[in-house]
Amino acid sequence: MTIRNVRDHGQRYRPRMACLKKVENVVLEMQDPKTGVKSQTQRLVITTIPHAITGEDIVAWIANRFKTDAAEARAMGTMMVAFGYIYPLQDHKRLILKPDTSLYRFQTPYFWPAQQWLVEDTDYAIYLAKRNIRKKGMLELYEQEQYNNLYKWMNHKWDFIVMQAKEQYRAGKERKKPDRVVFDCQERAYWVVHRPPPGTVSAMDYGHDRMVDPNMEEVKVCIMFIQQCIMRPRVKSSVSIGALIKYTTTYKEHDPFLHTCLPSSPWITDDVTYWTLNMPNVETPTKMRVERWTFSFGELLMDPRGRADFRLFLKKEFSGENLAFWEACEDLKWGAAETMKEKAQQIYKTFLARGAPRWINIDGKTMDITVKGLAHPHRYVLDAAQTHIYMLMKKDSYGRYLKSPVFKETQKKAVAPESHRFTRRPSLSPIILRQQEEEQKAKLAASGPVDITQLCRFTAPVPHLAVYTGICEAQSTASPGLMTLPNSAACPSPISVAIDSTPASERRFDGNGGPSSSHFPSIAEASVSEEEKQPPAPKSRMALSLSRLLRRGCNAPSVFASLSPKCAVASGGGKVQPLGVEPLAQPQPRRIANFFQIKVDIPPECRIYPIDSEDEEDDSADTARGGVKEIICPWETVTKQDGAG
Amino acid sequence: MPLCNNKVADDGTSAQPLQEGKAMVDSLIKVVACYRHLASCVGGCTDNSSLRRDLRQTRERAQTLALSCKNHLTARLRDKTLPDAERKETELLWVAFSSCLELLHADMCKVFTTVKHFSLANNSAMVQTGIQGGTTEVAARALSMPDLQEAGDGSQTSSMEGQEQSQLEQEIAQVDRTLEDMELKVNVLRWTVEALGPQYADPVSTDSASLALLSIDEEAAQGFCRRSQMFAVMMLCGVAIFAMVLSVCVVFLV
Repeated sequence: MTIRNVRDHGQRYRPRMACLKKVENVVLEMQDPKTGVKSQTQRLVITTIPHAITGEDIVAWIANRFKTDAAEARAMGTMMVAFGYIYPLQDHKRLILKPDTSLYRFQTPYFWPAQQWLVEDTDYAIYLAKRNIRKKGMLELYEQEQYNNLYKWMNHKWDFIVMQAKEQYRAGKERKKPDRVVFDCQERAYWVVHRPPPGTVSAMDYGHDRMVDPNMEEVKVCIMFIQQCIMRPRVKSSVSIGALIKYTTTYKEHDPFLHTCLPSSPWITDDVTYWTLNMPNVETPTKMRVERWTFSFGELLMDPRGRADFRLFLKKEFSGENLAFWEACEDLKWGAAETMKEKAQQIYKTFLARGAPRWINIDGKTMDITVKGLAHPHRYVLDAAQTHIYMLMKKDSYGRYLKSPVFKETQKKAVAPESHRFTRRPSLSPIILRQQEEEQKAKLAASGPVDITQLCRFTAPVPHLAVYTGICEAQSTASPGLMTLPNSAACPSPISVAIDSTPASERRFDGNGGPSSSHFPSIAEASVSEEEKQPPAPKSRMALSLSRLLRRGCNAPSVFASLSPKCAVASGGGKVQPLGVEPLAQPQPRRIANFFQIKVDIPPECRIYPIDSEDEEDDSADTARGGVKEIICPWETVTKQDGAG
Repeated sequence: MPLCNNKVADDGTSAQPLQEGKAMVDSLIKVVACYRHLASCVGGCTDNSSLRRDLRQTRERAQTLALSCKNHLTARLRDKTLPDAERKETELLWVAFSSCLELLHADMCKVFTTVKHFSLANNSAMVQTGIQGGTTEVAARALSMPDLQEAGDGSQTSSMEGQEQSQLEQEIAQVDRTLEDMELKVNVLRWTVEALGPQYADPVSTDSASLALLSIDEEAAQGFCRRSQMFAVMMLCGVAIFAMVLSVCVVFLV
């Protein structure tokens, strides 16, 4: 006897398959001799068996009965076959409905699928044993395996199983042969449904059984709780998709990924105009920004510039207390915990109390809640009032603001920067770099032993270079900093110089057999070329060569002259030191508004400086030698003292 | 139970009580097997009053047998003086008996629900299952009566059906109780019981082969039947033509 610890007399604990009852009714309808499916006789080798129906008849009948098309009818028929109400006579393992002349037969109600009773393994074992009795070795492989398993599990009643199989077989023999055949087919079909061959799924598979009655109170409560835990606000997908589309169409042009940001993305072109134009409290906002304010009230408030504009408008309208209150509430929400109480009291005194200086107009109920809450103030005590005021502003003031002259003025003044004409810095291939280096060398060799670096001396300091890669950091201790400070005496390291101005310099020096972008190697090359003449340290070399150049008596006015490409000519042709002519780029009209631009004008003392203090040069040279490996431009010391200027 | 068949009644003599028990259980198994065959016809096209009657009678027989079996086996197993070997065998019988009763219970439940839907009195549509013959032989086998009973009452009124249904319900409840009773009275540990018989039942008779052929080949034969016939016919024709040609040649040559 099987251990019965679950008395499942009903279907309470299993997911109900309500379709079974409906299919049964349909099957009964099909039996009608007049309106049902017409049956034929199946001809076997010896006998004929009636009540066989063809697949196409079934499909036609279903399509007619339910007024559907053939595909739907076929699907429904397949479902009926899969459940086991109709079984195929040929190809009995595949439970599908073939809409051709293949034959089917109705299953007897005894073998109809039911959820009330579990399909017992005992029955299955008896069935397999019967098949084995009929003919030895008739079991398929998977059936064989299952048989062996069952033999292990149900060993205690195996005698019974074998006996029962024999008896059933003998009892079957009492019946007429065609009936026997039919019964065998029925039983076989039944077991194909409930013990499907490997690779197929039983249609009666409904998942796990519940061991607990889901109608019990505790279980119900538990189920409800869990459902609420995982509950999400559900929105119809049509609505949410609509909202998504609206959002994307609105913000499409403002997305920095989907659209190029004007003037250019600083990450690409290293030009920070974009950031400066969109600073939080910039004087004139960009057009895009102003457009954003029109999207929603939230956008306007979140943008500091927008909020400032709105504040201005409200001031004109004498209703600025709303915004002030809102801001105060925000401050309370996000502020420090220790000052919260005082802040709340302050806000109450200023805005909410009767006769307050900046009294705001909120409805009685909200006021009640707020006042009650203020007895024990916490961060969100003014939330209700804040929301009320927010809604008020949104519905009322916002609309008027968008039509106001303040806004229109802002809109008119809004700047629309043009797109940066810069192309991406092309990275030169090593071959071209090498070629350029060779040309450099040739020029150096041709123009004599004049050190290119000496040129730098006459040129203006180059602290205007925006990007500072920090190589000269160690030396420029006085120089206030790296990139962002406009007046910093940023050491224009050769590389940074190169990076920032390559396009300009390339443009300019195309005619001169332009410099390579890697200025550092070129400097090194230049330095190397004079190695025999000068001490090994490149920095000192540069310094000394510069001093030599000075002694040659290039006079101060020529410093300005050197600002132009003529400098190259002046210093003996062709040895264009990119470093040196870097400041030449300076006065040329550049399309980009270089935020970090330094005035080119060199104060007079600077001009004299190089001539006067050679010892300082040496100092710097010494320090340079002792310092980091990069070339320290000697005029750095100039700019150090000049930094304030 | 009105039907009293004393063939397997215990006459009290202690002649091989084990054999007796075995005989009783065997006959119960037989009856339950027959009942299953009968039950499979319910709701089908051969469902008629005689089938219902057969069902009822078989059921009653099974009940009687079950009762006597139970009494016998319970008495034996509660007997403390039973030697071990016999106890083992009796336990085997006990397990067989309880499984049998479970099968009977399941079948009765199925019949109960099916009869509710397929009422003879209301002439509800029966499923065309392809069965043609009656099941009187099976019932005769179950009841161990050599003669076939004729169909007694031709029709059944709904009140009769109702009565039968309620009776069936009662009997199901009774079997339920019996099963529970058995568990309470005798404690047979299932894992200690070992089967003595073989895993595979021997084929009962050679007649099975033909039936098997019938079952298997009906599918394969369907397709190939015609083809093989045609092939044979063509072969014959070919041979015949060849023979004719030969004879003609011979005639001409000679």
